[in-house]
Amino acid sequence: MKNESVYILGGYQTDFARNWARENKHIAALMREAYQGSIEATGIEPGDIKAAFIGNFAGELYCMQGHLGAFFVDFDRRFVGLPTMRFEAACAASAVAAAAAMAHIKAGIYDLICVIGVELMKTADSAKGGDYLGTAAWYEKECAGVEFPFPKLFGKLGDEYDKRYGLDNQHLARIAQINYTNAKNNPNAQTRDWFMSFEHACSTGKYNSVVSGRIKVTDCSQITDGAVCLYLASEAYAAKYAKQRGLKLENIPRILGWGHTTAPIEFAGKVADSKDDEYVLPMTRKAITDAYSRAGIKDCWDLDLIETHDCFTTSEYMAIDHFGLTKPGRSWEAIENGIIEMDGKLPINPSGGLIGCGHPVGATGTRQLLDAYKQLTDTAGNYQIPGAKKVATLNIGGTATTNVCFIVGANG
Amino acid sequence: MIDREKRPDAGDKIKTVAVLGASGTIGSLAGGLIAQNGLKVYFLSRTKEGSERGLQKAIAQARSEMIAHNVVCGDYERLFADALAEADWVVEAIAEDVGIKQKMHEQVEVYRKPHAIVSSTTSSLPLSTLVQGRNEDFKRHFLSTHFYNPPGRLPACELTGIEQTQPDVVDFMRHFLTKRLRRVVIPVKNIAGFAGNRIAFLLFSRITSLAREFGVEMMDYLIGPYTGRLMPPLATLDLVGLDIHKAIISSLDANTSDPMHNWLSVPGYINTMIQRNLLGKKTGGGFYKKLESGKCVFLDPVSCDYIPAIEPHVAFVEKAKHFIRMGMYKKAFETILSAQGKEAEVVKDILCAYVAYSYSLIGEVTDSRIGIDGIDKVMSYGFHWAAPSVIVEMLGGCKTAAKLLAERKLPVPQGLLSDLKSGFRITNSGKYFVAK
Repeated sequence: MKNESVYILGGYQTDFARNWARENKHIAALMREAYQGSIEATGIEPGDIKAAFIGNFAGELYCMQGHLGAFFVDFDRRFVGLPTMRFEAACAASAVAAAAAMAHIKAGIYDLICVIGVELMKTADSAKGGDYLGTAAWYEKECAGVEFPFPKLFGKLGDEYDKRYGLDNQHLARIAQINYTNAKNNPNAQTRDWFMSFEHACSTGKYNSVVSGRIKVTDCSQITDGAVCLYLASEAYAAKYAKQRGLKLENIPRILGWGHTTAPIEFAGKVADSKDDEYVLPMTRKAITDAYSRAGIKDCWDLDLIETHDCFTTSEYMAIDHFGLTKPGRSWEAIENGIIEMDGKLPINPSGGLIGCGHPVGATGTRQLLDAYKQLTDTAGNYQIPGAKKVATLNIGGTATTNVCFIVGANG
Repeated sequence: MIDREKRPDAGDKIKTVAVLGASGTIGSLAGGLIAQNGLKVYFLSRTKEGSERGLQKAIAQARSEMIAHNVVCGDYERLFADALAEADWVVEAIAEDVGIKQKMHEQVEVYRKPHAIVSSTTSSLPLSTLVQGRNEDFKRHFLSTHFYNPPGRLPACELTGIEQTQPDVVDFMRHFLTKRLRRVVIPVKNIAGFAGNRIAFLLFSRITSLAREFGVEMMDYLIGPYTGRLMPPLATLDLVGLDIHKAIISSLDANTSDPMHNWLSVPGYINTMIQRNLLGKKTGGGFYKKLESGKCVFLDPVSCDYIPAIEPHVAFVEKAKHFIRMGMYKKAFETILSAQGKEAEVVKDILCAYVAYSYSLIGEVTDSRIGIDGIDKVMSYGFHWAAPSVIVEMLGGCKTAAKLLAERKLPVPQGLLSDLKSGFRITNSGKYFVAK
């Protein structure tokens, strides 16, 4: 593979608080709005786009619609004839789409690719939606006939931590509270106007019921309708783009490193594989360390912030030690010491993450990359981490089956 | 574990709030909003049980019982004096009746702390009348904070004072409501209806008149969510209540004047509906009535009886809805504009009237220096309607919109001709166009 640098030129996120199903909108409308917003935001000439990569998990289930790449050519007559393709890797669908776009650019095949992550989920009630999500695990073995299988599986992740290292649920509550608090600063976050307090996250009752095991409503990410469109470009295109706007190329965010791993799909298999490992999910750890290595960074302390995959509080708890903020099993230290807070040493999810900002499954990977872009270009508004120069994103699919980590950096 | 949640520093001056009328919808939900942002709130009404019912509404809005820890419920007789002695802000949200409000303010004056802020949630009653006879300190700290219902979903809050209100009190409340209560604050002038109700109820009035000719179901079909609103207009009035609708129209009729004033009217059939207690959702039937079977019947404005659904199907409406569903908003409006026939003309008339009236009130209901921005905000965040400036963009821009208005013999406001812009654009306004 050529060592071509790959740049991120920005994009657009739809308002994750919207209910597109209630608006009676087609999934193509969601994609179209993200695309049109991205053209307004970046000023990219549509005729420059050489390909469109779409990340989506389950359009066929939620909306009875597949083949989403084909809708892209409806957005502009000039797109008829462009190569488009759709990528699926459960909740990591659009990170995989971005990774594929990166690979195509590195290989010199295309110099500007439009990457859209999209999911329309509110078409289904919670039981049916929960069942659809079960297809991201080994459905027949782990999910068939199980009500809300994913909270159960990620509850087991917490149980595994508890077994190996001990786990205090108050630390999970604190993770929820931090994400909701951060989301209040994000104008596109689904929960920006919702009530949350540590006390509420710790409580159990009518408005914070137990979903499964240690997982309560406040430990879960949201069911979200949303799309994100962003642009990945070659160095040559990024240089032209920068020159046209009077920018320095080194100030344009660039993918410094990536890691992409796949673990056995069954959660019990992952846990069995890691019984002698200090990390509960070694393939997630490997995606992160591969990204560190490719980016040439020593450890997490070279980063300014992390946008991680907190589909449940237990997954963020896992990410904290897997990124190396603490020794394995001691994520609670980073929570108690305030390290992951907005003004902490290494903030996690200034956007609010999947719990606060929302989790339109197929759009989350691109949302994380767009937030990395915003942080690196000082355009994140009220959730800006001042002076951010290096950002890590971690997007996982299934029960940390597909793991994609990017390190994005700029000198801005 | 330490609760590290940080609070914005805005409004440290306000630590305790007393809500009067906390059993009512706005009192309880606005009170709940204040409580969920960490302030101590007294919920007061005629009975403690009423205040407790209000608290339950607030809990349902917050979806957390935890806010109850910030709330003290009581009745006027036993808790009023103590609550007002402690309150830094008194929110009056009692019945929309001048006499009742005047009496309440008289009592507030007796017990309030010096410099405590007092606000009324009214938008249609004359504010200065509500404080007749009150002392200067009361008047200097009096204003209106007009929340929209439900405040948990509609963040608009119109804010205005009376002539004697200290400017720094208005400035402080603007900052407090924005930063602490996360409201979209629209500073308005002290004129009946402020901005939102003034505009919306003139259109409601026109639509109720047209319903005599077209019928209830057809009017709501034609001016449905695809034209830039969450709910059809007559269905919205069923939620508001026909008695409230009539009171607002009467207040606007008595206290405002403008070139479209003659559109304000209450058709005779609405008076009949009120006499028959067909007030809307609160009495089990208004323009719509839901049958036990789940089906809806609609009021016939001629006979004032309910008639079965006709399930309208008009070609241009269906085509426009399809374009909205696919996110092709401009195409939808091109379809409306190119359609012929009396149904199409009604849709165009209402859209044009919305633009004409909204732009003509710049300077009268909001400061002219903010252009259309304040009106855009109140219609979007208060009514969940597409902002007037977005409708202008959908109609083809200011010049095309001005031409359409002139063709319909509507006033062509200066603001429209001067191509005013606001932060609202089609790209960020898709949510206001619903494919129904």
